[in-house]
Amino acid sequence: MLTAIAVFFPLLGAALAGLLGRPAGDRASQVVSILCMVIASAAGIAAAVLLGIGATEPGTIEITNWISAGTFRVSWALRNDTLSAVMVAMVSTVSMLIHVYSVGYMAHEDRPCWRFFSYISLFSFAMLMLVTADNILQLFFGWEGVGLMSYLLIGYWYYKPAANAAAIKAFVVNRVADLFFTVGIALLFFQFGTLSFSDIFAAVPSHAAHHYELFGASLPVLEVIGVLLFIGAMGKSAQLFLHTWLPDAMEGPTPISALIHAATMVTAGVFLVARMSPLMEYAPIALSVVAVIGGSTSFFAATIACAQDDIKKVIAYSTCSQLGYMFAAAGVGAFDISIFHLITHAFFKSLLFLGAGSVIHAMSGEQDMRRMGGLWNKIPITYSVMWVGFLALAGIPFFSGFYSKDAILDAALGTPGGVAFYAYITGVAAAFLTAFYSWRVLFMTFHGTSRAEPHVQEHVHESPAVMTVPLILLAVGSAIVGYSLDGTFIGLHWQSFWGASIVTLPGSNPFTHMESIHGVVKWIPTLVGLAGLATALLFYILVPWIPGWLATRFRPIHVFLVKKWYFDEIYDAIFVRGALALARLLWKVGDVAVIDGVPNGIATLTTDSSGEVVKLQTGSVAQYAFAMVLGVVILVAVFLLFR
Amino acid sequence: MNWQIALPEIVLALSGMAILLFGVLYRRDASVPCNMLTLGAFLVAAFLVLSTPDGSGYGDLFVVDAFSRFVKILILAGAALALMLSFDYNRHEGIARFEFPVLILFAVVGMMTMVSAANLMTLYLGLELQLISLYVVTAFNRTAIRSSEAALKYFVLGALASGLLLYGISLVYGFAGSTSFAALASALNAPGGASPGLVVGIVFVIAGLVFEVSAVPFHMWTPDVYEGAPTPVTVFIGTAPKVAGMALLLRTLSTPFGHLSLDWRLLIELVSLGSMILGALAAIGQTNFKRLMAYSAIGHMGYTLIGLAAGTEAGLRGALIYLVVYVFMNVGIFAGIIAMRRHGRVFEQISDLAGLARTDPALALAFAVFLFSMAGIPPLAGFFGKLYVFLAAVQAGMWTLAIIGVLTSVVGAYYYIRIVKVMFMDAPAPAIDQRPAMVSFVAAATGLFTVFFVLFSAPIVAAAQAAAQVLFG
Amino acid sequence: MIATIGFYVFAVILLASATMVVTARNPVHSVLFLILAFFNAAALFLIAGAEFLAMILIIVYVGAVAVLFLFVVMMLDVNFAELREGVQRYAPVGLVVGLILLFELGLVLTGWHFAPSAAEIRMSPTPTALSNTAALGNVLYTRYIFLFQLAGLILLVAMIGAIVLTHRERGTARRQRIGRQNARQPEETLAMLNVALGAGIDEIGILRPLPDPAPVGAESHALPHAAEPH
Repeated sequence: MLTAIAVFFPLLGAALAGLLGRPAGDRASQVVSILCMVIASAAGIAAAVLLGIGATEPGTIEITNWISAGTFRVSWALRNDTLSAVMVAMVSTVSMLIHVYSVGYMAHEDRPCWRFFSYISLFSFAMLMLVTADNILQLFFGWEGVGLMSYLLIGYWYYKPAANAAAIKAFVVNRVADLFFTVGIALLFFQFGTLSFSDIFAAVPSHAAHHYELFGASLPVLEVIGVLLFIGAMGKSAQLFLHTWLPDAMEGPTPISALIHAATMVTAGVFLVARMSPLMEYAPIALSVVAVIGGSTSFFAATIACAQDDIKKVIAYSTCSQLGYMFAAAGVGAFDISIFHLITHAFFKSLLFLGAGSVIHAMSGEQDMRRMGGLWNKIPITYSVMWVGFLALAGIPFFSGFYSKDAILDAALGTPGGVAFYAYITGVAAAFLTAFYSWRVLFMTFHGTSRAEPHVQEHVHESPAVMTVPLILLAVGSAIVGYSLDGTFIGLHWQSFWGASIVTLPGSNPFTHMESIHGVVKWIPTLVGLAGLATALLFYILVPWIPGWLATRFRPIHVFLVKKWYFDEIYDAIFVRGALALARLLWKVGDVAVIDGVPNGIATLTTDSSGEVVKLQTGSVAQYAFAMVLGVVILVAVFLLFR
Repeated sequence: MNWQIALPEIVLALSGMAILLFGVLYRRDASVPCNMLTLGAFLVAAFLVLSTPDGSGYGDLFVVDAFSRFVKILILAGAALALMLSFDYNRHEGIARFEFPVLILFAVVGMMTMVSAANLMTLYLGLELQLISLYVVTAFNRTAIRSSEAALKYFVLGALASGLLLYGISLVYGFAGSTSFAALASALNAPGGASPGLVVGIVFVIAGLVFEVSAVPFHMWTPDVYEGAPTPVTVFIGTAPKVAGMALLLRTLSTPFGHLSLDWRLLIELVSLGSMILGALAAIGQTNFKRLMAYSAIGHMGYTLIGLAAGTEAGLRGALIYLVVYVFMNVGIFAGIIAMRRHGRVFEQISDLAGLARTDPALALAFAVFLFSMAGIPPLAGFFGKLYVFLAAVQAGMWTLAIIGVLTSVVGAYYYIRIVKVMFMDAPAPAIDQRPAMVSFVAAATGLFTVFFVLFSAPIVAAAQAAAQVLFG
Repeated sequence: MIATIGFYVFAVILLASATMVVTARNPVHSVLFLILAFFNAAALFLIAGAEFLAMILIIVYVGAVAVLFLFVVMMLDVNFAELREGVQRYAPVGLVVGLILLFELGLVLTGWHFAPSAAEIRMSPTPTALSNTAALGNVLYTRYIFLFQLAGLILLVAMIGAIVLTHRERGTARRQRIGRQNARQPEETLAMLNVALGAGIDEIGILRPLPDPAPVGAESHALPHAAEPH
């Protein structure tokens, strides 16, 4: 029941704000959507706590039958297990805080912003639907719902061409991934005859030996499905090769970047992999793919983040990188750690985004860090919460990120095999880079002398309370969530908390190996993080000419990083142009010549023959009579010949 | 001898003569009371039709069954609606004479006789009674040269068709030894099939009957007659005689020649195909609304014949349902055409309807309903008519018919909906005159039927089913 | 034997004259050949023993229909040259179609067999005890009364049609007014005059009828106008 409240109140808020927003005005729609979100988050947290302390049993809430066609049956049902409950609590809470923050952030909009509140409430509903889905089709409904809302919100400033382009890009890239996801869903149904999670999971072991024969190759069924689902997850979670949309998505309002493109939607892919853990456990190759892609992304995105000058882009690549960590954890079988990092990341990353939003707000919309600096004493609250956020992001001990990131790297190190070691190496490298770019942002933004325009400097001001209060709450969360949940989410007793919602095969959970890591090895990530901090201090405070010298000395590398490894250019050359060429071909040949040409030709033929037929009607009775006689002759002939 | 089974026909014929007498003796203009009396006679006849029990009489010349009852009611309804449309039109055109309803009435007697025919002779006489009445009413506007020309063409070609029919009947009689349907059915049941003489006879009979329903290749009179005849006569020719002719075709081919169905099905298939294709193609180029409706009628008869060609009970049922739907939408469209009058002058060009939606939205809406229904757009009645015949064709495995039918429906949709486009999108022409109340009434009634057929189709389908069962009994 | 010879003679003449009907150049000749054909057909009926039909054929078709045709043909001014032109233009096509039709009808003869049960259900031949006319009357007014009445209706309709399509109200037409005739009193029409013995027209003058129309029952005109003296 609490889950249902948490899921459907955002929908109610969205409907009220959306349908009545125009007549009722912005204030009313803000109040109603925030009220609904407060109720939802209270219900969500309560449900998670009740489930966590064992007061309620995991189960499902049947709502109604959705599709019933032959053997294909899908129902609307809310799944209430630990994984869902944790996600619901996190999503609804972060969403609620961001609703509040948005009131302040959107206050300077010229246009009415009820639409905005309706959208983010609807987004929250879709996300909650995704995480509480009882079957994979319902999950896909939420999946597409968040995708749609993401499109609408990235393009919220629809009069900006860049926003439109970014929205389309996000949608198209996700569509590519969704193609594989839907194929995966279809194969799931094809293989298991059902789409319900519980039915699928129960049947997984019996399908472990099934293979698809394709072009002579023999592919294990579960591996194929696992990889296909993961490709879907890659799109949503902006993993390497399908990550290009995420940085562009920063064209949307900053609260959206915080909510959708940091805390919730992009983590849907991680959630999907964790949700499918009973299946993924039987697909070791798919898991290896997950680990490799995750590790690569964490390193690759971190390198780009070091060279970006747009404060939001840095954080966006940071998000990419952190999502890579989560996949790396899932790839080595540590689904619990993956979700743990997801939760802590949600707090500190939304904090960072909102903090960045506050900075941008203070700088009158300026996002380029090269025109910032020296802000620390002008916006002290923002400054301090950003510190907390970056400390957590860089994994400095006793902040949230420390616990989760450390655990991930331990798990990777503790798991035998080359793939896990690759994930560990990339993870450690990324940890160094993370610390580096974190302080790079801090130093460039808040320290040194101000490089902004004079009139911008005059207007620098601390954000109103409606924005700073959520920031402070998130900062508290970023500081303590890791510590307080450490023993519950992960560790020896993880299974008693997660129950059946996360499944690992006996002995494959890396936790068993983690305990054997001792001494200096265990502190490597932390030391690396501190080294990154020191490097940033050296580069941007102590010897500020180093970055410039490096950039000119190693110009190709710098350009390579600034150009984000040329992914956009390559994709543009191969896919975008190729697709345009193909589209033009289809338009000119397929559409104009064939699809239009054939019907037009038939239509012309029809009207032409119409002209001929009409000519038969001469008006002469003799000819009419002759036609009748001819008709009789023909009919008699036909009758005699064919009877 | 149960002479009562022909009571509806007898009563109708007697009241026809009485009305004629009244019209002659009445001192003032007798057309209005005669019209009313004729409508009354139709009503009484309909009541009698419903209350006459099944059976046959007059030495096996005449039969009453569910089929004849169904079709007779439809004929009476179509004739009554057409007559209602004639009131104001005839007065406007100065041809409001009391003979008009009387001739219509005798035509109806002829049709009802045809429908009940159990003998080729009854069939022929009923047909002639109907045709001669129709020739006369076609020429009713005798000062208009178009009207006379149309009547002459109709007469000459009709006489040719009658000749073919008679020749066919004589061949059939010569080779099978009887003109009675029942005797023919048992005579033709023998193994070995039909002799060539009988075959030729049957083809000639089919030719004569197909002329009635204006199907290809015996359709040539239709456009000229439709265009030339006074519009109420066109309505009448387009409804009741088509129903009667089709019913006659259904009964003749399924009862006496039913055992040869494998032989004549191909012919009906060809006729049906030709009608659908010609109806669709030739209608495209028309600018005169009445002429367009003629080709439309040819096409619709093609669709109806699909039901016969299917040669199954479902097919006959489909054909009967199609006829019901066709009668009502046809009358509806012609109600609109009769309302096309500007400053007292009739106009018939489609382009004259431009922008009707702005000058007379109600009429434009009615037109749109009927045209969409003719095009077979669901949920209007026309869709269900097509649905039932196509369904029967598919069930009988006649894919060619079904596919060509659907294709020609598409072409048909083009020229029907084009008229809607002219009415709703083109720049308005000057407003039309105030509609007569009777025309509005007929248009509204048929419009409601067309729109809401989907809701009350069950009893009509059931009645058609019962009627079809009789022929297959 | 004689009947057979007669049959062939009449039949050949019938066919020949029928051919002439359609091929004759002069339409009056066509009608005359038609009449000849009717006569020969009547003769064939006679040979077959159907004397009533033979007489009816002559009375109706020759006496009424053909004569009507003759009048119509003679009254109409038809341009025969023009007609013939059309015939020549369409002759080849018509000929081909006609030949095909002939061929098809010829096939009828090749497969000449009756339905097996045709012989049984064929009606019995002419009754011997009755005259032809009586036999026809017997079935026509009993068994086929329905068709007979139907035929009557057809004629009625034809009559109505003829009147409707041709009858015109002319202002100049003089027509009978039964009511006025009946209501007429002798004194309206009759004038009792005492004519002197031996007096002629010259003496009493010519009496003319009342000017038309005269209101019935009007008290004036009790007496006819006297003719004006000449």
